[in-house]
Amino acid sequence: MSRKTYAMAIRDVLASEMKRDEKVYVMGEDVQKLGGIFGCTRGLADEFGDDRCFNTPISEQLMIGAGLGSACSGMRPVVELMYMDFTFVAMDQILNQVAKTRYVFGGKARIPLVIRGQQGIGRGNAATHSQSVESIFMHFPGIKVACPATGEDAAGLLRTAIRDDNPVMFFEHKGLYATKFEVPDDPDFCIPFGKARIAKAGTDVTIVANLLYVHRALEAAAILEKEGISAEVIDPRTLVPFDYDAVEESVKKTGRLVVVHEAHKTAGWGREVAAEISERCFRYLDAAPITLGTKACPLPFALNLEEAAVPSVADIVAAAKATLYK
Amino acid sequence: MAVKVIMPKQGLQMTEGTITGWLVEEGGSCTEGTPLFEMETDKLTITMDAPATGTLLKIIHGVDAVVPITHTIAIIGEPGEDIAALLAEAEAQNPAAASTASAAPAAPAAAPAAPAAQAAPAKEQEGKKFATPRAKMRAEEKSVNVMDVPASGPDNLVIERDVLAYEPAPAVKATPLAKKIAEIENVDLSEVKGTGSHGKIVKNDILSAVAARIAAAQTVKAKEDGAPAGRTKRVVPMTKMRKIIAERMVASLQTEAQLQHVVRCDMTNAAALREVYKKKNKKISYNDIVLYATSRALMDFPMMNASITDEGIEMHDYVNLGMAVAIDTGLVVPNIKDADMMRIDEIGVVAKELADKAKNNTLGLAEMSGGTFTVSNLGMFGLDQFTAIINPPESGILAVGAITKTPVVVNDQIVIRPMMSVTLSYDHRIVDGAPAAEFLRRVKEYIEEPTLML
Repeated sequence: MSRKTYAMAIRDVLASEMKRDEKVYVMGEDVQKLGGIFGCTRGLADEFGDDRCFNTPISEQLMIGAGLGSACSGMRPVVELMYMDFTFVAMDQILNQVAKTRYVFGGKARIPLVIRGQQGIGRGNAATHSQSVESIFMHFPGIKVACPATGEDAAGLLRTAIRDDNPVMFFEHKGLYATKFEVPDDPDFCIPFGKARIAKAGTDVTIVANLLYVHRALEAAAILEKEGISAEVIDPRTLVPFDYDAVEESVKKTGRLVVVHEAHKTAGWGREVAAEISERCFRYLDAAPITLGTKACPLPFALNLEEAAVPSVADIVAAAKATLYK
Repeated sequence: MAVKVIMPKQGLQMTEGTITGWLVEEGGSCTEGTPLFEMETDKLTITMDAPATGTLLKIIHGVDAVVPITHTIAIIGEPGEDIAALLAEAEAQNPAAASTASAAPAAPAAAPAAPAAQAAPAKEQEGKKFATPRAKMRAEEKSVNVMDVPASGPDNLVIERDVLAYEPAPAVKATPLAKKIAEIENVDLSEVKGTGSHGKIVKNDILSAVAARIAAAQTVKAKEDGAPAGRTKRVVPMTKMRKIIAERMVASLQTEAQLQHVVRCDMTNAAALREVYKKKNKKISYNDIVLYATSRALMDFPMMNASITDEGIEMHDYVNLGMAVAIDTGLVVPNIKDADMMRIDEIGVVAKELADKAKNNTLGLAEMSGGTFTVSNLGMFGLDQFTAIINPPESGILAVGAITKTPVVVNDQIVIRPMMSVTLSYDHRIVDGAPAAEFLRRVKEYIEEPTLML
């Protein structure tokens, strides 16, 4: 185990995988000299050469299209997007090409492509640089979606993503990059996709959250604990595949469900989870599941307004209590 | 088509009734004309029949609910039938719900997050009970009816912890005899430990409980109540019927100016009349003859068949002839409607029917209301003569004694005749001594010479 930031956990896994497999390489904006604006590719070009970690033009469509072709021809590219908000300029590449190529070619094309980058609030990056966009990629079949909330998960999930022969959208959170975690040093440390993590065990209410909100849910759980309410916090870790079984098992125990995320509440993935769980264990529910997400407004530039748009710890506490009629 | 079960109005004076038991559970099936629930009024306990055949979809008022007459207390229909409209109607009758609803606009919003749209359905749900799926599941696990569980959730919602905290009153098993004794002695069955098979409460358990109660009372009160050593007094709570009788008897004597006239009737011809019927295989009793004679005499003396009201004297052109019937728990006075229009054998049939109903506790309130005069017969106890208290608002009551062979003077000869005393209590506010005497003489004439009634 080493104590390192979330960003360094990402960097170290990239290095470790590039060392292990020469087909693994990194491309993106400012990844070569700068090492990415958050330092996730720092030193990779020096260690592995400019041909395995190189800058691209500012064209996400191009980067992802190149990554797809490269993956089809046997390489294992990791494409870094500076902001995951920019997936929108490459939607045709991602949803029509990356997600469907293997399918339309009868399974003959393998697409070992990782598209990774950061998203979310915390820096006042305003409307087009602060969004949480992972729900969209859960909607379309053909791509896996990972959302690590800790350094350990970032390392284990990224390694699994790179070694996976299918395309993976890898969502990091800018608000977590500087946070330090204990991260395993094992160069083969992998976390399987579709296996949720029980971040905190509890008996009264199940709180499902991802990314930054795993930490906010844990804060809320600590407050609830003082009031005698035992919350179980579950981090699904990957949205595709999703570990519904873990949530189902928890809700059967607690009878109450709160899903909280930074993605917009409307049509957000929390609603999908609430619906699936309602179908699976309606009889076990003692209250309607509550979903918390960012309000239906573009994220404001001002940090205080940004914070007002997203769910607060107090919101999570209140929602958990509401499911308990308290 | 769903049918409402309403709190029946069975008598003019009835304004509300207490439900004492549901004989069919919610969701159970019921058949028209078979017992559905038990209720109590200020006069009696009665079993009511289902007004329709179907499923008892909803019990709106549970046990111990005091419900005004005509209010809906349950709904019978087909499973799955939409009874929302009937429930809404029933709610509207509920004054508590209505007042809550009207108070709602004044109440501050519970939470700023609650949209106004949610407030409206919540109001409609007032009085209804819901349970969360989990609460229902827990109720099934505990084998309790989730609708019996007190709700702590919003809008009368039963939630999981309500069910977990709910301890249903255990069903008490007791033999019918034990239950009967317990009722008379006012013993709470839930406090008695059964010694019968599977803990069933039997007669001796109740008797032991009574003995224990006496013993307990003895130790506490022996010193202060002046009872001789080893003896005791005990206090048994008054039943509802006892209280009603007590109140009405006192009220009768306090409002009416009551006094008595007595005559003795020679029953020779009445006995001969019975023989005539007997030959035709028809049985009539002496009491039937008295009832018949009284109903005819009342038509001759309408003031004896009247009542004093605030407006004036209420005259009745019909005779609803009351008959006092002693039952285990007290006294009831059903009346024979339109007795003046019945043949003597018809009166006999109705009188027997009412007496049976009284003993089985199945009298309807209508059968006990609206009487205009009463006959009380204690002849079977061998009383030569007794007096009775008038059953208000009536103005007279006949107290009928036993028939005894008595030496009487007829045509200056002492002969033995079957004699029966008839004592009239009357209300001097409405009838004076002479007309009362005339009425009593008419009764005597009719009884002594039944052919005069033809």
